[in-house]
Order: sequence, then structure tokens, then C-alpha cells
Amino acid sequence: MTIDLTRRAALACAVALAALPAMAQDDWPTAPVHVFVGFPAGSSPDTLARIITEPLAQRLGQPVVVENKPGAGGVIGVQQMLTTAGDGHTFGTTINGPLTTAQRLMDSTGYDVEADIAPVTLIATSPLVLAVSSASEFEDLQGFVDAAGAEPEALAYGSVGQGSGAHLTAELFADEAGVSMLHIPFTSYAEVTTSIMGGEIDAGFMAPSAALPHVEAGNMRMLGITSAETFPQAPDVPVMAGQAGLPDDFRAELWNAFIAPAGTDPAVIERLNTELGEILADPQVQEKLLAIGWQAAPGTPADLEERIVADTEMWGAVIDRVEAGE
Amino acid sequence: MTTWEGLLYGIGFALQPGVLVYCVLGVVLGTFVGVLPGIGAMAAISLLLPVTYYITPEAALIMLAGVYYGAQYGGAVASILMRLPGTPQSAVTALDGYPMVREGRTGVALFAAMASSFAGSVIGIAVLVMLAGWLSTAATAFGAADYAAMMILGLVAASTIGTGQFAKGFAMVTLGLLLGCVGTDVNSGVQRFTFGQTELLDGINLVALAMGLFGVAEVVANVQDPDRQGVVERIGFRRMLPAWADLRQMGWPTLRGGALGSFFGALPGTGSTLSSFLSYAMERRVARRPERFGKGAIEGVAGPESANNAAAITAFVPTLTLGIPGDPIMALMLGALVIHGIQPGPLMLEARPEMFWGLVASFGIGNLLLLILNLPLIGIWVAMLRIPFRWLYPAILVFVCLGVYSVRGLTFDIVAVAAIGLAGYLLALAAFSPALLLLGFVLGPLIETNLRRALLISRGDPMVFLERPISAVFVVATIALLLLSLWQAWRQRRNARADRREAA
Repeated sequence: MTIDLTRRAALACAVALAALPAMAQDDWPTAPVHVFVGFPAGSSPDTLARIITEPLAQRLGQPVVVENKPGAGGVIGVQQMLTTAGDGHTFGTTINGPLTTAQRLMDSTGYDVEADIAPVTLIATSPLVLAVSSASEFEDLQGFVDAAGAEPEALAYGSVGQGSGAHLTAELFADEAGVSMLHIPFTSYAEVTTSIMGGEIDAGFMAPSAALPHVEAGNMRMLGITSAETFPQAPDVPVMAGQAGLPDDFRAELWNAFIAPAGTDPAVIERLNTELGEILADPQVQEKLLAIGWQAAPGTPADLEERIVADTEMWGAVIDRVEAGE
Repeated sequence: MTTWEGLLYGIGFALQPGVLVYCVLGVVLGTFVGVLPGIGAMAAISLLLPVTYYITPEAALIMLAGVYYGAQYGGAVASILMRLPGTPQSAVTALDGYPMVREGRTGVALFAAMASSFAGSVIGIAVLVMLAGWLSTAATAFGAADYAAMMILGLVAASTIGTGQFAKGFAMVTLGLLLGCVGTDVNSGVQRFTFGQTELLDGINLVALAMGLFGVAEVVANVQDPDRQGVVERIGFRRMLPAWADLRQMGWPTLRGGALGSFFGALPGTGSTLSSFLSYAMERRVARRPERFGKGAIEGVAGPESANNAAAITAFVPTLTLGIPGDPIMALMLGALVIHGIQPGPLMLEARPEMFWGLVASFGIGNLLLLILNLPLIGIWVAMLRIPFRWLYPAILVFVCLGVYSVRGLTFDIVAVAAIGLAGYLLALAAFSPALLLLGFVLGPLIETNLRRALLISRGDPMVFLERPISAVFVVATIALLLLSLWQAWRQRRNARADRREAA
């Protein structure tokens, strides 16, 4: 009798397993969805993930759980997503670093972006602003570039770490403007801001939302922004492209994307892409994202893939130059 | 609004039932997560973050702040009772708190911790209210060179806290400094001693190190020695009260600790761990009979506890006045405000006075609640020691694992805490001081990063350490301290020789 029961149970399991792929398309999601974020709770990438997963849970009819796995500039989040992959309910959001520059900067990330990651959609982009102390003599970008060009490393700038978006953007800027600046790595925008206001360093590229409160308080000034158009959160800051000797197509943006492990059912990716596209088209969601410095920028999975390839190449060239300069 | 108007307004705001309830919730929760080894304010605040979406931003901030400073009270309890620091800040409290327990003075030790925690918080609040403006300028006035010089002074001053041989203490500080090198070097981006493990890129987890060295090592030591059951006392309220002599011994250390903590708490990035170490070192240095330290000196409990609570309060100065979070927990709290659409920054005091003054007033109310809550709890904590070790220790190990996992959610850290625990046990067998290792670990990376950053900014000119006035003061103080120590050692040896000659 016991044997019979076990046999029947095994049979039932086999039938259920065989039916799984079909169910994945029709009834997905059948369980809570997990979204891995490589940054701690309360950080900007985490807040972004929570803004979009809340409406996503409503649309999918299943809870969406944000899993914070902070560390190594977001790489650990991607790694943990890949380790947990295989149930069809595991995804991640990540900033550009782990998909574009981490392979160059780290000994080993433990994954291959092209082979292991399936792009779902770009979520949002964020330009950086060049911020200086309001006590400094720099009134505009031209004045800054002139001062920086007086002699090599005449000016020092702060970033949030070697190979960070802030560091590479500054190096790209310096290269295009034909100057060289002294790089001082910090670990957070809070430290960079303190150092700029204390007059210890001259400038820093930072997220508009990190600079704005200090600009409003009269402690800092923003000389330019790295996006192709002015940014709604800081409409008065002039676009850098075409100014102070920079090319007209100068553009450097950080971004945040929704990704899946490779091998995820294409129908599921399609569904997620559609839902997220609609969520990001909602003006309320856009406003919430803008408040933390992100501009909604949904697209197709192919768009994201293209962006990954293009940025890997662009930042790779910058890293080459930085390494050659050392 | 003047300071007094603001404060009165804040008290009125914080006493509203709808706000007060969150303050109570925060401090109670903070006490409990503080007691649980390894589970600190960071984990509790992360878990509470989604809850804050549903309450007003003022109530949210008051609740999260309550967890933050409440954890400082709870942290001392486990540290004193079982030599298991509930939080890394309270590791120092174990040095003299635990010996007091073994002497059968558990009640007095816990009372001393609670009373000095409260006094330290009051000092912190007074400093916050009166000197917030001045302290916020200090935060931007400190450059990399100043931080480096200050930390070196801290390292030199605190290196004396170990009891016993100089060589052993030196070895532990050095080992701590070396362990602090693990991870990505901030200045060059080079990965050091990571052995290809991504989990080590941000360094060894501080909580794993503290829990392994103190907690796990202590559990292993007790398993090996089943007779080592602590002295369990039945205490009434009277036994808990310290004698007049105890109170007198606590007075100055509490005041000094509070002042020290207030200052270090307000500097972004230095934090309360450093201030409790420095307070302990200072008490040992000014004590008439320093040999009592490590054997149950009440000053060694009162000073550091006062310091870390004062620091927990003034840590809000850069956060509230400059919008610059001093540590990851502060950053997390600011994140909670951002979710509500409030951009914390220098203008917050003017734009949202109810938030600033309400929070400040809630510090006072919350600390009073903590004192009222914790004094009766002392009896319950002491009763915990009566739980048979075969139940207590497995439970402690479970909480240690949970706590370490809660920091980053990585199983790697659980393996790490087990390995560090084994190493900690071996070190304890050979009578090495784990506190000094922790000190080197905390200060090492800060000193290295700031020293190299200062030299980068000065384009390689070492004179920057003497040209900047703040840094120069610290450098001179460090040299003076070293000379003083050498002179004391020389005098001691001469006296010992003279004694021997007389005896002969």
C-alpha cells in the first residue's frame, strides 16, 4: 500500500513536471517573484527597484520581493540572482557597472554578461553634473576647463571609487576637453560633497540628486550636465555637449536595468517588458523616479542589449586610457 | 525659531500620541535587537523600511532613530552578561563588564551601563541642541590629513587598552590592521587578499569579526569547560543599586565619555565604535590604579557606554544640518525620508522645523523611556544567566548566525564567523586581547585611506600634516603621548630597579 502511494505520487509529480513549461507561459507567475538588488535597503538603486516592483506586484497578481544583496558595486546582486536562477521567478535590477565595466575592473565577476544575462528592459537613466564649491572662482564650464588646462593635474576631483561612473565620466570629460585632472577616490557622494565644501578638492561629477540640496543651500554650483538634453530635475544646468571644446555628441549617463538569468522563458521576458513599459509610462511613477534622480527610459530587450554592448565599448576605451596613464 | 522655542515646540510635537507610539516602538525594538548578538540597528532598520511608507515621515524618522540609539542600550547587556557584544560598539564594555559578572556584581554592572548610557545620551542631546551649528562646521573643516592624524592619535592612545604584555598587544593591533587591508583598496582599486572571492571585495564583515572573536570564541571556551558556569545571584532591587563608592567612581568617566562621544559622533565616518574604544583608553590612562582595568573596573563600563550613546545622538548633526550621513545606518535613515519625497539637506531645519525639533525632543523622551524600560529588565537579564548552558549556547550560536546573515544576506559571512570564532578561541587560549585586534581592524582602513588621500591631495607633500592646524594639533598630541609613555616606562623600570636594590 505504501509502495503504491509512493508510486502514484511519483507519477503525479512527473505529470506536473511535464506540464511545467506550458504553465510557465500561460499561468506565469505561479509563485512570488524575487528581484535581486545589489545595493543596500534605502540606497538609490534600492528605492528605484521598490518604486517599480510595487505596481508590478499588482499587475502580476503575485508578491514581488526585493532581495538586497549589497556589495562589490552591485556585482554580488547579479551573482546571487544567477545562483538562485532556474525557478523562472528570479530576476534582478542593476546599475550599468556590473553589466559594462565590472568585467574589466575585477579579477573575476563569476559571470559572462553575454552568455548569462537576458536583458528585459532599461528602466531609467541618470546624467551626472559637474559640481564645484560656491566659494570657488569657477562660474561656468569654460572657466573650469581653462583652469584645469593651465597645467597637468592643476585641479583635483573626487569620485565614488576607482572605476565608478563618476570616475570614468570625469576621465571621459577630461579626455574630450583635452585636460588632465587629479583623481581622488572616495567611497560615497557624502564624502565627496564634504570635501568639495571644505575646499579640499575642486570638483566632482555626481548625481543631480546628490548635489541639488547643497546647491539650493548656496554651498555648491553645478557647471554642466552630461546628458544630451537638460534634465527635468535641474533644468537650469547647461548641457556640456558642444561647450568648452567638448564634441556635440558628448554624452555620459548611468542607467538602471531590469534583467533576467539567461534561459528565462522568452514569453516571460516579453510579459515583463510589456508590464514594465506600461508602469514606466505612468506619470506618477516617472515623478517618483525623478525625485531620486532617475529619468524613466523604457525600451525593448534588444535596446538594452545594444546599450550594454555600446557602453561596454565606450567605458572600456576610457579604462584603457586610465590604465595606460598610470 | 529660537533654540528654546524650537525645543518646546518639538516636545509638544513628539508627545502627540500618534508620534509617541512610534518612539516607544522604536526604542523597545532597538533594545531587543541590541541585546541579540549580531543583529544590530542596521538589520532592524532595513526590515522596518517598508513599514515607514505607511506612516508620516516625522514618525518614521523618530521610530528609526529610536531603534538606532535603543540598540546602544541593548548592546551593553549581552556584552556584560556573556561577553557577547550585541553591537560592535559595545565590545569594549565586555572588557570590564564581564569580569564584574564573574565577581557576582552583575546587577551593578548592568545598572552602571544603563545609567551611564542615559547620562551620555543627555550630554549628547545637550551638545546637539547647543553646538549643532559649530559641530557642523567642524564636519566640513576636517580634511583627509586631519582625519588621518586624529585616527593615528586614536590608535596610539587606545593601543594601551590591552592588559598584559606589550608584545602581545602589539601583535593583535598589527593583525587587526592586516585584516583591515582585505578587500578593494579605495585609492587604487586593487583587490587585496580576496583570493577571487567577490564576497571579500568590500572587506571582512565587521559584524562577523566582532561576533566571531567575542561571541563564538566565548561559546567554544565554555563548551570545553563545563564547570565554568557564571556566578548566579538572586538579586532584589537593592542588590542592583551600586554602592556610593561605585557611583563616585562612575561620575567623571561618564562625563568624560559623554564629551568624547559627542565630539567623535559628530564627525562623519568615525562613529561610535571609535569613541567607546577611546573612552576606555582614556579612563585607563587617567586612573590612579590602571591595573584594575580588565578585572572589573566600573569606570571601564561607564566611560565607553556613555561615549557610544553620546555619539549615537550627535551622529545626527551632520545628517540633519548638512544632509551628509556619517555612517551607513544614517544613510539608510535618509533613504527613508527620500521615499517620502523629502530631500534631506542643509535646508531641512528651515523647511521642516517640526522634523528637526520633533526628532531632537524624541531623543530626550526616548532615552527616558529606555532608562525606565531597562532598569526593571535588569532582573530578567540576570535571570537569563540561570538558563542551563546546554540551552543558552546553541541559542546564542543561532542568533549569531542570524545576525551575521542579516547584514548582507550572504551565507559566506556565516562560514566566515565560524572560522573567525575558531581563530578567536585559539587567541583567547594564548591570552591575546581580541579588543585590540578589533581596534586595529576598525582604524586601519580609515588611517590608510585618509593618509594616502591627504598625500594625493597635497601632491605628495608630507608637510600637509603640519601645515593644517587641526592635523598639527593631533600630530603634536600623538608625539607627546608617545614620549609620555616612554618616560613612564623608563620611570617604572628605574623604580623597580631601585626597589630591587633596596631589597638586596
